[in-house]
Amino acid sequence: MYTQPPQRRLTRCFVIATGSTLLLGACGASVGSGGDDDWTPEGRVTMLVPAGAGGGSDLLARSVGSGFEDVVSGLNVNVENYDGLPGYAQLQKAAGDPAVMLSAESSLITVPQLADVDFDYTSFTPIFKLGDDRAVLTVSEGSEFSSCSEVIGAAESDQVQVGVASATGIDAAVTLLTEQATGVEFERVPFDAGSELVTSLLSGDIDIALLNPGEVIGQYEAGKLKGLCVFAEDRYEYDQLKDIPTSVEEGIDVTFSQFRGIIAPADITDAERDAWVEVAEEFTESDAYDEYIEQNYLQPNAVFGEEFSTYLEEMAESLSGVSEQ
Amino acid sequence: MWDNLSLGFSTALTPENLLLCFIGVLAGTIIGLLPGLGATTGVAVLLPLTFTLDPVSALIMLAGIYYGAQYGGTITSVLISTPGEPNSIMTTLDGYQMARRGRAGPALAIAAVGSFFAAIVSLILLALVAPPLAQIALKFGPPEQLALVVLGFVIISTVSGDSQIKGLLMTACGVLLATVGIDSATGTTRFTFGQLDLLSGISLIAVVVGLFALGEVLAQLSIGEAKPIRTRLREMLLSKEDLRRSRAPIMRGTGVGFAFGALPGGGSTLASFIAYGLEKRVSPNRAEFGKGAIEGVAAPESANNAAANANFIPTLVLGIPGGATTAVLLGAFTLYGITPGPLLFEQQPTLVWGLLASFFIGNVILLVLNLPMAPVFAQLLRLPYGYLYPLILCSSLLGAFAEENAIFDVWVAIAFGIVGYFIFRVGLPVAPLVIGMVLGALFEKTLVQTSSMGSGSFGILLDRPIALGILAVAALLLVVPAVLARRRRLRVAHTSLVSSESKKDTHV
Repeated sequence: MYTQPPQRRLTRCFVIATGSTLLLGACGASVGSGGDDDWTPEGRVTMLVPAGAGGGSDLLARSVGSGFEDVVSGLNVNVENYDGLPGYAQLQKAAGDPAVMLSAESSLITVPQLADVDFDYTSFTPIFKLGDDRAVLTVSEGSEFSSCSEVIGAAESDQVQVGVASATGIDAAVTLLTEQATGVEFERVPFDAGSELVTSLLSGDIDIALLNPGEVIGQYEAGKLKGLCVFAEDRYEYDQLKDIPTSVEEGIDVTFSQFRGIIAPADITDAERDAWVEVAEEFTESDAYDEYIEQNYLQPNAVFGEEFSTYLEEMAESLSGVSEQ
Repeated sequence: MWDNLSLGFSTALTPENLLLCFIGVLAGTIIGLLPGLGATTGVAVLLPLTFTLDPVSALIMLAGIYYGAQYGGTITSVLISTPGEPNSIMTTLDGYQMARRGRAGPALAIAAVGSFFAAIVSLILLALVAPPLAQIALKFGPPEQLALVVLGFVIISTVSGDSQIKGLLMTACGVLLATVGIDSATGTTRFTFGQLDLLSGISLIAVVVGLFALGEVLAQLSIGEAKPIRTRLREMLLSKEDLRRSRAPIMRGTGVGFAFGALPGGGSTLASFIAYGLEKRVSPNRAEFGKGAIEGVAAPESANNAAANANFIPTLVLGIPGGATTAVLLGAFTLYGITPGPLLFEQQPTLVWGLLASFFIGNVILLVLNLPMAPVFAQLLRLPYGYLYPLILCSSLLGAFAEENAIFDVWVAIAFGIVGYFIFRVGLPVAPLVIGMVLGALFEKTLVQTSSMGSGSFGILLDRPIALGILAVAALLLVVPAVLARRRRLRVAHTSLVSSESKKDTHV
């Protein structure tokens, strides 16, 4: 999708040529396929966040940033927040620059499917996925529902109102997948953020919402909200969440996770990508990684490089039916 | 209660925390002072610097930036008609007029006094009755918010200067601007022309900076430089009369601001706007509004400070952000490994009460900083405007950029600067456009939410007494003045008839 300006291509050839004369022949043939074993991350690196400070993507960026700084001495990661899509635009502009990254989640797949934008997941270079965040169907403590099957049963005859934080978010996707799998229809009430869903659940203005556990764990612990089921194959292992049944147990054949990961711009060399993957692998073995995963109640399913690309491909495929609706 | 407070003060009064509180409120004042650079950006930018501190100290400093900015935002509104924060927009109306008459000192001083009073009252309420208040605030769902927005639209007609039609025209423009971007209900893109930068809408900060700061500079250039204002020291200080006139507006502003701030998602911009509108209705000096009435500064400035403090009610009690800045602060909690939520008061008493105690201390520092500084800042007006332009331009464009790191927003600001200049030339009011943008976005959102909650019908409004009550007030505001004006006209016509008849009598 992005065509590289010719002068950039020349510069890269020059850099590769000076770095290792053996690869001189390779660089004209196909950009990015040549490998230069000598490239190592150093100096100033920009971590783009396509969301405001304090949100999930921001927390990810800051955790990975400081984690990478611990792994690579002398590395200096600067986090830059953007109001949504302009963050991706910055990453597009940075094509070929290995010193730029972006903290991504599932909207990398859903936004291009739903909105008219000139990028999709293939426009960038996936580095690694830290783990998965799941959606838990959440109700207030006083709710008439005590299980997900009851919610589906009620939706067959009555109006059940589901709050949706974003048309391109995990909650919209799970709502739609559930409707397709069970044949019921929910009444959607649109909001702007997960915190607004929490408010409306507490006040009883909506019946259910699909939230990441990290967003509501405080409410669960206080007994103000409760989780009825998690949209996954297996239950959580976290103590506070392990009693929540899965959607599969409840007879709803829908599982869906939201990944949290790091992507780099298009057209970086394989050597540059591999170098970042190596840093990422080292980071996922650190305490800082475990801390991030546990603080946000994620599943520690890290995958790297090519494998992450395959994961994104499969996810895009599984959601393509959803967005055609 | 007292145990909690003494725990709080013993936490907040350590030398380190006292210093951080001071740094926070000072940085906040400066950030608030600079047009375009707001509290939200300030907190977000300085957040990474606090990682090495312990959570209480870090939050004391970050919160200080937030409420410090509420004080700072006033200064440029009064001196150069350029709001440092969007919630100081209403202050430009009368504050700037006061400054033009050599009364910048009292305007700034009353803003500081009002802000301090509002903050302390809000904090006492916050410390005493936050949990039940948070429960009441939860009753304000989408239908109630929709009703409040409708009330806001009705009130606009009262704050649009000499002509209601002009005010409503500008409001409509603001509402239209708010429609740009991805529609949150369906994900449809509107008026984006394939521009990625427009997908998330037009930045309010960029528009405010453009219309007020750049527009004002262009306007000044076109009419020739404003004369430096020289005043005697006596006029720089608050008089007894000023204080007497401001007492009731400060209290009303505090009430309005506190109520709005306690609602999750209720903004302080809206609070200051409603407070101004209310004041213009009830004040015995309402004829002076827009021409330099001190009430027009006291009420909105008290309101935006009360709202800023009351914002911590949903934030601390429910773990739900009350506004944009408290949302960033809640994110900071998570970064420090603290789970925000209803158990915060129980699980983190040192943190919560330390933070609350620091608010009291911070506000005292702010009053001590701002009150004596008011005449000093007012002296800035002795400088020829020419010296101020470059500073205003730089800070404004930097602020437009810094909110989202977007060059695009700088262009938006410049474009609206030119628009602002023409608006000024044809004599249209600027404030209603910005209020229209704020209200428009909320109006659409709550309208869609209310209709989805009622499965496509607005009948749900009838089941919600609070929403119905607010709508009734809005209806009364529309009808009563019209009826009163009609009766007054009739009476005037009648008396003139009588007097002309009596004249005839004497003739005969």
